[in-house]
Amino acid sequence: MTNPERTGYEMNMVELEINGQRVSAEEGTTILDAASAIGIRVPTLCHDSRLSASGVCRLCMVEVAKGGRSRLVASCVYPVEAGIVVQTDSEKVRKVRRLILELLWPSLPDLAREYGVTSSRFRPRDTECSLCGLCVRYCAEIKKRQAIYFRGRGIDREVAIVPELAKECAMCRECFPCCTGGHIVTHSDLAFT
Amino acid sequence: MVLTDAARDAWAAAGEPPADVVVIDDERAMCDGCRQVLEAEGLRALTAPDGSRGLALVERARPHVVIVDLKMPGMSGTDVVARLSELDPSIVSIVITGYASVDSAVESMKIGALDFLTKPFEPEQLIQSVRRGMELSEARARVREAPPAAPPAEEGLADASQVALRGLEVLGQYYRLGLRRRDFVDELGRLEAEARFHAETLGRIKEKEQVLVEVIEDLRVADEVIASHAYRKSHLLQVLLDVQARLNWLPRHVLKWISRRLKVPLASVYTVGSFYEALNLEPRGQHLVELCTGTACHVRGAPRLQAMVSSLLGIEPGQTDLQQLFTLKTVHCMGCCALAPVVKIDDRYYSNPTKTQLEGIVESCKQEREPSCQG
Amino acid sequence: MPRLRTPADVNRLRGELQAAREGDRRCVSVCSGTGCLAYRSQDVVAAFEREIACQGLAEHVMLRRTGCYGFCERGPIVVIQPEGICYLGMREQDVEEVVSETLANGRTVTRLLYEDLESGQRIARMEDIPFYRHQQRLLLAANAAVDPRSIDDYIAAGGYAALAKALSAMRPEDVLREVTDSKLRGRGGGGFPTGRKWRTTRDAPDDVKYVVVNADEGDPGAYMDRSILEGNPHSVLEGLVLGAYAIGAHEGYVYVRQEYPLAVRNTLRALEQAREYGLLGRDILGSGFAFDVHVHRGAGAFVSGESSALMAAIEGKVGEPRPKYIHTAVKGLWDKPTCLNNVETWANVPLIVSGGAAWFCGMGTAESKGTKIFSLVGKVNNTGLVEVPMGMTLRQIVYDIGGGVPKGRGLKAVQTGGPSGGVIPASMLDLPVDFDALSEAGSMMGSGGLIVMDEDTCMVDTARYYVDFLAHESCGKCVPCREGLYQMLGILDRITAGEGRDGDVELLEEVCDLLEVAALCALGKTAPNPVRSTIRHFRDEYDAHILERRCPAGVCKNLIAYTIDREACLACGACAKNCPTGAITRAPYNDHYVIDQDKCTRCGCCVEVCPPKARAIVKVAPEAARQTL
Repeated sequence: MTNPERTGYEMNMVELEINGQRVSAEEGTTILDAASAIGIRVPTLCHDSRLSASGVCRLCMVEVAKGGRSRLVASCVYPVEAGIVVQTDSEKVRKVRRLILELLWPSLPDLAREYGVTSSRFRPRDTECSLCGLCVRYCAEIKKRQAIYFRGRGIDREVAIVPELAKECAMCRECFPCCTGGHIVTHSDLAFT
Repeated sequence: MVLTDAARDAWAAAGEPPADVVVIDDERAMCDGCRQVLEAEGLRALTAPDGSRGLALVERARPHVVIVDLKMPGMSGTDVVARLSELDPSIVSIVITGYASVDSAVESMKIGALDFLTKPFEPEQLIQSVRRGMELSEARARVREAPPAAPPAEEGLADASQVALRGLEVLGQYYRLGLRRRDFVDELGRLEAEARFHAETLGRIKEKEQVLVEVIEDLRVADEVIASHAYRKSHLLQVLLDVQARLNWLPRHVLKWISRRLKVPLASVYTVGSFYEALNLEPRGQHLVELCTGTACHVRGAPRLQAMVSSLLGIEPGQTDLQQLFTLKTVHCMGCCALAPVVKIDDRYYSNPTKTQLEGIVESCKQEREPSCQG
Repeated sequence: MPRLRTPADVNRLRGELQAAREGDRRCVSVCSGTGCLAYRSQDVVAAFEREIACQGLAEHVMLRRTGCYGFCERGPIVVIQPEGICYLGMREQDVEEVVSETLANGRTVTRLLYEDLESGQRIARMEDIPFYRHQQRLLLAANAAVDPRSIDDYIAAGGYAALAKALSAMRPEDVLREVTDSKLRGRGGGGFPTGRKWRTTRDAPDDVKYVVVNADEGDPGAYMDRSILEGNPHSVLEGLVLGAYAIGAHEGYVYVRQEYPLAVRNTLRALEQAREYGLLGRDILGSGFAFDVHVHRGAGAFVSGESSALMAAIEGKVGEPRPKYIHTAVKGLWDKPTCLNNVETWANVPLIVSGGAAWFCGMGTAESKGTKIFSLVGKVNNTGLVEVPMGMTLRQIVYDIGGGVPKGRGLKAVQTGGPSGGVIPASMLDLPVDFDALSEAGSMMGSGGLIVMDEDTCMVDTARYYVDFLAHESCGKCVPCREGLYQMLGILDRITAGEGRDGDVELLEEVCDLLEVAALCALGKTAPNPVRSTIRHFRDEYDAHILERRCPAGVCKNLIAYTIDREACLACGACAKNCPTGAITRAPYNDHYVIDQDKCTRCGCCVEVCPPKARAIVKVAPEAARQTL
């Protein structure tokens, strides 16, 4: 539970239901963390507990029902709310995850197999980078050097190194373990600008 | 101009400096020969058969250049030259000698002669030498007359003379040290190469200086813009837009500077710079050609217009041509849908132009004329 | 200029200005919006200045540069009061005659008047022209009377009366109730009840609040907001101050796309003038209420028009959307309650405060009140901005106002809502413009772009166009949107190139479903709309492309070919001159031209210049073209 502003006194607890289980969580906790606390594993790609939440991969989407209406939300950023009913593995959710894994194929082969994805109907991409942004956030938040950034927009968006920091970057390599798509590792000898 | 003896004497009597050159040689033929060559060149020349009479003549005639034979009975040429520099340092001496020996050359240089000519010499050699002497003499005179602070009017000339003088001094030292002629030649060659090298370096430094001046100007513009936004970090995009409006694009050194001044990470500047269509991180051509790709333009034939414009300019959208004359961009809707399909060149709009019209406009851009063709 | 210290001062100033403007002076208004400027209306203005001075009429004639009149197809537009004579398509060389005939002697110059297409009759007054007659120009009418650079014009025309009324006779709660009761819905596309948004922002527990004008107007083909901001910036500003008063905000932002330099300039000037007059800043009109506004420019990113992205941009970050599960009305700019509304929404507010909620509710349909400005563009005769009451049908807009489809071609569909919207086929043209009716039909009102498409428009190409637009305008952060659009673009590229496969349509629909539920922001979530609606209403075109390798509209380049009919060809050579690839040459020993199919890129430039009496260039199927060689 990550809430540094809270003192011990003012903790509000929120009651909700996840996969049929009643859960009590601190206000401000994300559904992902609340689920994890009771042993429910939600797949993620762009999530790292050491880093700020991003919510871009959409693998962690879960179904949330509130007052008769239900919708899908990204559990890594959605805060718990009183009275919601969460399904982390409904058919709707699984359908979304399958298609995302198919789009990212052949990255994440293990997770893909879990969801029955062993091939893709889509044309392959030129890159194995899923733009999860973990390297960018690591460099900004932990290394505090901001040597990597997102360049461009839309389908041309890519991860790039700040040219002036390229030498430093090539020697540092601390973000390598974060890489989920294998992109940094495979290009470790080149500047991937 | 050929002077008669009478005329010369008349001048002498009037006290004017009637001669450009005085020739002192015990050989009558040499004197006459030199005089004829010089007068054919339009120079006034007087002669004397020996050193003492020559000096007297020089005192009266105040020539610019004195030609002296080294070996003469009575006062030697060396002595004459020495006396000449005491008399008037701006007089330039040229020595002639029948004996082409190193010793003679050394002698001449030591005593401060500009040049030495070995007999027999070509008239051309004489004339060249005398002309150089005249220039040097005038330069010397000017330097003497002018106040020390004022630079000489013809800098190059004075510089050259100064360099020549200095060179002769240095050579004199070489002689005193007992070095050989071969060494002089090598040394001169080396000095020349060095001089050229320094000149090139100076040239490069000047170029770099010019580039630095331009860079500093760019950064100054950036500073002005940043100050006008009160250094607000949240105005990063506004700053980039305003700087680009002044510089036509956003060079790397400017991005780095903005990052520093606004105290914003360089990564953020690159992120913002690469995210927005309107920001150019590459040099832009002089003329901006914008094709509208809004939906109204699309259904009214924008792809066709784009094909035409691209083939005419030889570039695709997003590119600048090699001469940096045109940059072609697509814009997602300019809001002039009544003119669809629209192409905007600089600040003029053209509605569905034909190939001929476009050719005309491109031509006027190339010649920096006002485009006469209206959309 | 003297500061206005009380609400009464505003009305007093208005009285003075109106009195000074009375008299028998004629007034020439020349449209100087960007559209007419593209037609060089500034030359017309200069010519008027010269001629009026030349003919000694300066005492009797006033010249005014105004904002957009809306009839953009026929610009530059000049209106002469008090007669209300409307001249269309004026050029510099027409000015002398107009000055000597109309201004000096009151005679109309017939050739510059609108000509009725059927009867041939000339119509002099603006209101009688069919294009204008069917409109209800609540907002746009003001453009005719106001020089956007003059706050006095705005005040003389009735401006700032609503603000004066609110600050003297209404509490913030009253203003908010008036707007709520008017049932005004957001004009930016969402159609969210404005009053409700204001209420949420007002009730949010924070002392610091913001109001924002969204003038990004990224939808291609839409330029309504630009015309309002360029032509009457004070109307938006007044609405903004009223909103700030109602909500309790003291700082506002106007986010304008940088592609609108004139709008930026006019807005900045309007703000300066308002501050001078005491209508902005501390202690507005002596009420004690403080409020000021900053202008923030965009830089060419459609996605930055999304509300969370726009706020990120104002905060100085890159303009990308953020995953938000808390409304920006509660946590917006710098996590403070922020009310963001569209330009047209704000411009409606002064009218509602002055006229009252009941008056506003008298216009429109049950759930969509008031008027809406549309940009009517594409394959339509009268391209321009039209303002109609909600509930008018699309047919009325396209035919009665728009004058129908040019060249007698058949109407195929009308596209609304920009890249977030969909197509409405000709069979459904009697739909009223109403937020809910359009959504049910698979499209949406959107910001107001109304693109008319005819039988020569390919619906699959249209879908591809929108997907291409979105693929490059998307921020690219989230996987479903970025990867999904990339794949959809690939599939549509294949289909339009004649390489479609059975099952492509179903695959497209599957990706559409993903984007709708899983995308991070509204751009991604509504990206499926153009694809879905074209599949829904024009499935036959998709099938023709995929199963028959045929483009029914004759647009997709790989599925068409151009040939020259040798009998009809006049051998004028115009096509050859205009061909960018040099594919057209004169047939040897023959009196006609020939297109080399290998060099031809099917750009269509040749058809544009083939003389109408020849019409020698025809579109055929690619196989047919190769056979005739």
